[in-house]
Amino acid sequence: MAFPKELIRNFSIIAHIDHGKSTLADRLMQLTQTVAERDMEEQLLDSMDIERERGITIKSTAVRMFYTAKDGREYMLNLIDTPGHVDFTYEVSRALAACEGAVLVVDATQGIEAQTLANVYLALDNDLEIIPVINKIDLVSADPENAIHEIEDIIGLPAEDAPQISAKTGLNVQDVLERIVSDIPAPKGDPDAPLKALIFDSLYDNYMGALSYVRVVEGTVRPGDRIRFMHSGNEFDVTEVGVFDPRRLPVKELTAGEVGYISASIKSVAETKVGDTITLASNPAKEPLHGYKQANPMVFCGIYPADGADYEALKEALDKLVLNDASISYEPETSQALGYGFRCGFLGLLHMEIAEERLEREFDLDLVTTAPSVIYRVIMLDGSVRMIDNPSNLPSPMEIQRMEEPMVSAHIMTPPEYVGSIMELCQEKRGLFIDMTYLEENRVKLTYRMPLNEIIFDFFDGLKSRSRGYASFDYELGEYEESDLVKLDFLLNGDMCDALSTIVHRDKAYAKGRAVAEKLQEVIPRQQFEIPIQAAIGGKIIARETVRAVRKDVLAKCYGGDITRKKKLLEKQKEGKKRMRQVGTVSVPSDAFMSVLRIN
Amino acid sequence: MAGIYVHIPFCKRKCRYCDFISFADTSGEDLYFVALISEMRRYAPLMREREFDTVFIGGGTPTVLQQGRLAALMDELRRDFNISPEAEITVEANPESASEEKLRELFASGVNRLSMGLQSASDAELSAIGRIHTREDFLRALEAARKAGFTNVNADVMHGLPGQTGESYLETLRLVTELGLPHISSYALILEEGTPLHADVEAGRVTLPDPDETADMEDAGFAFLAQKGYERYEISNFSKPGFACRHNLNYWDNGEYLGLGLNSHSALRIRGDWTRFNNTDRLAEYVRELGEGKLPVRDTRRIERDEEMFESVMLGLRKTDGVERAAFHRRFGVDPVEQYAPAAAELEADGMLVVTEERMYLTKRGLDFQNEALIKFMEQ
Repeated sequence: MAFPKELIRNFSIIAHIDHGKSTLADRLMQLTQTVAERDMEEQLLDSMDIERERGITIKSTAVRMFYTAKDGREYMLNLIDTPGHVDFTYEVSRALAACEGAVLVVDATQGIEAQTLANVYLALDNDLEIIPVINKIDLVSADPENAIHEIEDIIGLPAEDAPQISAKTGLNVQDVLERIVSDIPAPKGDPDAPLKALIFDSLYDNYMGALSYVRVVEGTVRPGDRIRFMHSGNEFDVTEVGVFDPRRLPVKELTAGEVGYISASIKSVAETKVGDTITLASNPAKEPLHGYKQANPMVFCGIYPADGADYEALKEALDKLVLNDASISYEPETSQALGYGFRCGFLGLLHMEIAEERLEREFDLDLVTTAPSVIYRVIMLDGSVRMIDNPSNLPSPMEIQRMEEPMVSAHIMTPPEYVGSIMELCQEKRGLFIDMTYLEENRVKLTYRMPLNEIIFDFFDGLKSRSRGYASFDYELGEYEESDLVKLDFLLNGDMCDALSTIVHRDKAYAKGRAVAEKLQEVIPRQQFEIPIQAAIGGKIIARETVRAVRKDVLAKCYGGDITRKKKLLEKQKEGKKRMRQVGTVSVPSDAFMSVLRIN
Repeated sequence: MAGIYVHIPFCKRKCRYCDFISFADTSGEDLYFVALISEMRRYAPLMREREFDTVFIGGGTPTVLQQGRLAALMDELRRDFNISPEAEITVEANPESASEEKLRELFASGVNRLSMGLQSASDAELSAIGRIHTREDFLRALEAARKAGFTNVNADVMHGLPGQTGESYLETLRLVTELGLPHISSYALILEEGTPLHADVEAGRVTLPDPDETADMEDAGFAFLAQKGYERYEISNFSKPGFACRHNLNYWDNGEYLGLGLNSHSALRIRGDWTRFNNTDRLAEYVRELGEGKLPVRDTRRIERDEEMFESVMLGLRKTDGVERAAFHRRFGVDPVEQYAPAAAELEADGMLVVTEERMYLTKRGLDFQNEALIKFMEQ
């Protein structure tokens, strides 16, 4: 028996990192007795360790709750939790497309931030009903009036009667539930129409294979149905459908307006692409739901095992990781310095960092990562075009007519007092000033046109340090633009180290070459011989540093008869050596390749 | 060859660089002494078959013990163990507590070698590392030792100390050579974590000479010692002919030794197995367990043949005459140069190792980079 559609509410929570999204979700589940008190783990929805530690959500999750409102009726509330970062904008937009409304959480101590704004626009694009909520009013520094002000001025939403809550203590959270019931429209859709289910996320389960997280927009799906993914055209037999309470709970059917999962013994999440529409093979919908697009990797880097013997283990780990995250690309590559590894592509810098962290933690690997790169368009003399994501593969300058790099529109929101130093930063990062607007007295929005390759290094860190953490930032991808780019190489004792090569703008090559050479001088341990470190463009040396030769490497002390201690010290040194990579005659510690990423 | 080491974990004050187990509070001395005696008696029946050629009473500062204690200790050692009449018997002494009376007591009880902690002849350097004696105290103690009858005397000195220069280090070496000491140990300061000096250096309160300065100091100092007729027979040890320390040579030959006292280490062949173990490093446990009639032994491990072989190389290559091939062959049934052929060949080609009919040993450069040489053997 289907749940009456008019009593269903599908909604999402929009918030900036740390504004309390997951805490509010927890509280809602508690109030609706979806999770028993004793099962209540802090921030239940963020289940990955990394998500918990970083306080962000990477994967979308969904949970079904039942709530008896003040009108005496019992409602089914489907909460779809969205990722909270610029790298996952597309996932967010699909999750929002699965809802009729959104709760906008604004931290009463912080106000609105760039990412919040970006997600509000996504919600408005999807015609969602937005319920503003002021959170953290229990804090001494809370300024709810200002937050209301900002919501009204910046977003243009009436917020006078917005619930003022503390998700942490539970204060006024019930009001949020009432507003969800009263303000958000019930889903429409005909349970008897041809099936249209929007995939807003997918997950790989060791036993069930790839699961599609769906919002059924039209029609009904049941176990035994043969389904078709409308963009890929692939067909599968449904083995199970279910809902989240918040653990998976099989049900007999999912029907128009409902949110749940479909399992069909699918081997990889590459088959269950976010944004695709599922229909029935026997009675297909005419048109898929709109908005599907392939998520393409933007940022690339080389990932190598710190210990060359772990190559197979790394390969297996990547295979498994991609089962769960189809937006990661990877293919084998070889580096003279680092040996066998993979060139991996990610949606953005955070996505890359998270993937690296997961590989290291969940698969217990020690990795060496090369500097991230964007994809450059290289127009050859003969007019042909090559897309280059690895600096080592850049053709010789003699064969190149010109090069282009991807640009972004960067939006930065900041209190006015930091505008000067942020503009300076954007200038340093080759940004082109587009616009500056006062969103209100205390908040300025800067728009810059910037090369993506400047953003993927340390732009975010720079922004945070120059604004004492107050500035927030978001970007959208723009066109390719011609640029005077050069390949910057590094030589250690005369041998080129391919893993350190980067593509940079000519104007920045000298400064960067010097900075990296200095950094290498710090991180490469002294060896038995003197090591010249050179930065070069083409054949021309632009910077030089020297690692002086070490004079002694011996344990002077006797340690009495404590041979073991001596042996342990040697073992440690040997382990350290194992983590070194041989570049020609020079031993380079694995983390040197990463430490040069963070200069300045 | 076999040796006995006895640890006396008390000092008047702990030096700022020291990370050995030792206490400035000597109130536990009586209890410790009782425990030590019972430990010796527990081992006595187990050691009947062995003859000991060396005894080394170290610390800490053995000379802080009450008058009579060290003589009593010597008596007990002779009662419980079979100590060769020609044994080398060393006691460590620090100038501030090496009184004429105590030195006489030691000599009379059969101690025939004294190892004096001088560290530096500069009072400023001494105070910088928390030593509580002066250059004068050392001279006085040495005179007393000689009066007591000691001729075989070592001085420990250090380089790489805060405020030390090449010249001041040479001045220290000049002093000990002019005094005609037959043995000198010159250690480079190792900054050990957890020591007050380490904290001072981390916090920037104290600056050490940089590694290049220390290396210069060492090279010049060691050359000076050679010129004065001292043979470098181990990385940090120098002697006039016939005065090499037999107790330490036994360590470097990977010989047997029995450790007694707190946190002492032992290496013994037990029922054919090369075995290492050590005592607890907690004074209360040491005293309690021996009071209960138990040996306070920890971390007993059987050393596999491969590891024993590596230990023999690791220790042997500390000596300038290196590993004796025939002795190694007798012990393991294989020639070390064959056993470690790739490592030996690589190091030889690199000018770090010399192989002769009789031995393999490290060159000056090999000794300077001994860790790297050993890792080559280890990796193989």
